[in-house]
Amino acid sequence: MSSEDLKDTDTEARFEFKKEEKSAFETEKGLTEETVRVISEDKDEPEWMLERRLRALEQFQQMPMPTDWPGQPDLSEVDVAEIVPYIRPDIETRGGAESWEDLPDEIKDTFDKLGIPEAEKNALSGVGAQYESEIVYQNMQERWEEKGVIFMDMDKAVREHPELVREHFMTKCVPPSDNKFAALHGAVWSGGSFVYVPEDTTVEMPIQAYFRMNSEGMGQFEHTLIIAEDNAEVHYIEGCSAPQYAEFNLHSGGVEVFVGENAHVQYSTVQNWSKNTYNLNTKRAIVEADGTMEWVSGSMGSKATMLYPATILKGPGATDNHITIAFAGDGQNIDTGAKVYHNAPNTSSTIESKSISKDGGRTNYRGLVHISDGAENSKTNVECDALMFDNESTSDTMPYMEIQESKVDVAHEATVGKIGDEDVFYLQSRGLDDDDAKQMIVAGFIEPITEELPIEYAVELNRLIELEMEGSLG
Amino acid sequence: MSTQVHANLTDEQVRTISEDLDEPEWLLETRLDALAALEDLEMPSVIRTPGRDWTNLDALEYERIVDPLDRSQEKDRVEAEGVDVLSWSEALSEHGDLIEDRFGSVVDPQRDYLTALSTALFSAGTVIYVPEGVDAEDVKIRTRMHSQSLFNYTLVVAEESSSVTILERQTTGTDLEDKQYYSGIVEVDAAENAHVQYGALQNLSEETYNFSVKRGHADTYATVNWIEGNIGSRLTKTSVETRLIGDSSESKIVGAFFGHEDQHFDLASRVWHEGEHTVADLVTRGVLDDEARSVYEGVQDVGTEAWDTSSYQRENTLMLSDESEADASPKLIINNHDTEASHSATVGQVDAEDLFYMTSRGIGEKRATDLLVEGFFVPVMEEIAVDELREDLDELVVERLQR
Repeated sequence: MSSEDLKDTDTEARFEFKKEEKSAFETEKGLTEETVRVISEDKDEPEWMLERRLRALEQFQQMPMPTDWPGQPDLSEVDVAEIVPYIRPDIETRGGAESWEDLPDEIKDTFDKLGIPEAEKNALSGVGAQYESEIVYQNMQERWEEKGVIFMDMDKAVREHPELVREHFMTKCVPPSDNKFAALHGAVWSGGSFVYVPEDTTVEMPIQAYFRMNSEGMGQFEHTLIIAEDNAEVHYIEGCSAPQYAEFNLHSGGVEVFVGENAHVQYSTVQNWSKNTYNLNTKRAIVEADGTMEWVSGSMGSKATMLYPATILKGPGATDNHITIAFAGDGQNIDTGAKVYHNAPNTSSTIESKSISKDGGRTNYRGLVHISDGAENSKTNVECDALMFDNESTSDTMPYMEIQESKVDVAHEATVGKIGDEDVFYLQSRGLDDDDAKQMIVAGFIEPITEELPIEYAVELNRLIELEMEGSLG
Repeated sequence: MSTQVHANLTDEQVRTISEDLDEPEWLLETRLDALAALEDLEMPSVIRTPGRDWTNLDALEYERIVDPLDRSQEKDRVEAEGVDVLSWSEALSEHGDLIEDRFGSVVDPQRDYLTALSTALFSAGTVIYVPEGVDAEDVKIRTRMHSQSLFNYTLVVAEESSSVTILERQTTGTDLEDKQYYSGIVEVDAAENAHVQYGALQNLSEETYNFSVKRGHADTYATVNWIEGNIGSRLTKTSVETRLIGDSSESKIVGAFFGHEDQHFDLASRVWHEGEHTVADLVTRGVLDDEARSVYEGVQDVGTEAWDTSSYQRENTLMLSDESEADASPKLIINNHDTEASHSATVGQVDAEDLFYMTSRGIGEKRATDLLVEGFFVPVMEEIAVDELREDLDELVVERLQR
């Protein structure tokens, strides 16, 4: 879609509307073995997947809530007993509609307002859309399919590509034992995307998926598994949103990325969950020799986010780049950062983190760079910049660096500052009003992120920021 | 956990220490309260990431290494004109009311297990009183520890518009060939417009476990500067802290460490900006050789009312060996947007090009590395405003390089 189209849309309406709930199937609130069995049965899953779910449930029940991190968001309100883990929308097109036109009007309407299918109509490579717990629409250009590229919803992949899924699903990359919410995810996961790119294949257009939570008091647990074989290249984009409800929602997704030798994967997210959502995600990539992983994340919504995309640089010469931006407004606590494990020689990583806080919002950068003994000639460079609008807001930077190898080059830098009065004055003297001047400064501040995104996502990110800043500047 | 040392400590021992110092009742009560509190107190917090504590304080065998009544030591105190530099018993008789007023006002006597242990058992230490308007020269305190364990307590009271520089050195005397435990608590209370510079050079034997807390309160226009050199000890857990309470107060924390063999340094620099227009600068550089390990945490905490804050932090670690390990965590906690703050940390090795350049000029590789290590410390040495301390530290660095 062009930026003109976006301009015509009422931004507020695009992100704050909600639909009447109409679900065909809903599990009971709370989490029991029975719930897990019901989900698995409803999805017609093989026995091994049910076993994995049950094992994850056991781990979830044994693990304590994370409470011991300095300055972490308060999770006391997160009561799994109150969450509906699985809702299937009431549509005929379970497992994904063939074409956009086949979707029921209210779902089409929802995604229309978000502007996402517009991108599809303009012949981008692929879009998958998840509504509640199930993928309702998915499409992939034929020319990629001919090359053996697979892009389908995760539930379907369990049935149609069991070998690939069985080998990679929550085994080496994100085991359920990683943290309490990864375990929860392993037990009740539903929907999400499966992407497979065979050797020597480049998918030139970004593959896109959109997730939306529409019901009150529900949890969303989509799983994304990306496998890029040697010399493959792919860019995956995911967008998330949920309207505002009184009760809390829980989003606990899982993302696993396998980057083969000399392969290149970019994973971009713009997250705009409603401000009652707890966003507790686990994302991780394993990178083989000379492969490259790139994470581009924008975290705008949610009440509390705890998300630290992690990369394990497993093969020599592997590279990781993180670009993250967090925006926290009234009542929000965005605790995000990056983790990189340098486990092989000649590996390199960069982390560029930007945060903006205003109206009492709180942003944390929490990061870990680990350089293992033997990872010689590794390089890492971490840069964090925080921009603060007012005195009610908080911004913390908590990097950890664990260095077990001497032949390394490790650097961390962080700065915090207020929006520059001089910059605002300069722009005002050029005829901009105060709000526009500040918005322009913010746009400049986050430019390193937006320039990594395809234009429509960059525009969306800017729109979200405009929306966040509307009327709140003085 | 916290009862392991408590088991063989008694009220009687504490009363004996207190009687020997001819203490007033309130101080005895403070000690006994601290002793009683041990049961519920936790070890000082260490840097931790989920599943990992980077310094294991519970591994110390306190029961074996703490001997409350053995406190043999040598203490030299070099006074400066106009300043009272007193042992505890002298200070209690000369400035009883003042001490009652200030003791424990900066460092909470029960802030954690090891601090409370120090409060209950301290028998060595110094009180430094700088009266209003006095502009003093250097005060020097040298402590040589001969005992199994030693608990040192230093209280510095700098009245309005006074200034003083204090140099403290800790060494171990007779080599006990056994584990020793040294604990040092330092409280600095700097009144309006006072200027306190506190330099410490720790060169304890490498069988000594060292715990220290140094903390200052800076009133309006006051400055509290710290210099912290760590060369000796087997394990050091130290925290150097300033609360910038008054408007326009300042603090500089300069740290240098050099670890070799299996030394472990757990170092923290912390500053709280509470008043307006406050300035802080944290600079630490360290070198690690052999299997030495350093854990560094630097915290710049800017409070809600701390308008117009400037806060800077730099930490650099140089690793000379593949077996060494460095952890660094510089933290910014910002609650006021009218702030200019930055921090940076680096870890790296001796620059290969520099080394190549020097060896190609005919300097042997060992000598070239030594020169580069000395050069690495230069930016920190330049920050050390006290000549004598700088020269001593430089000497210790050179000595270590020659070993």
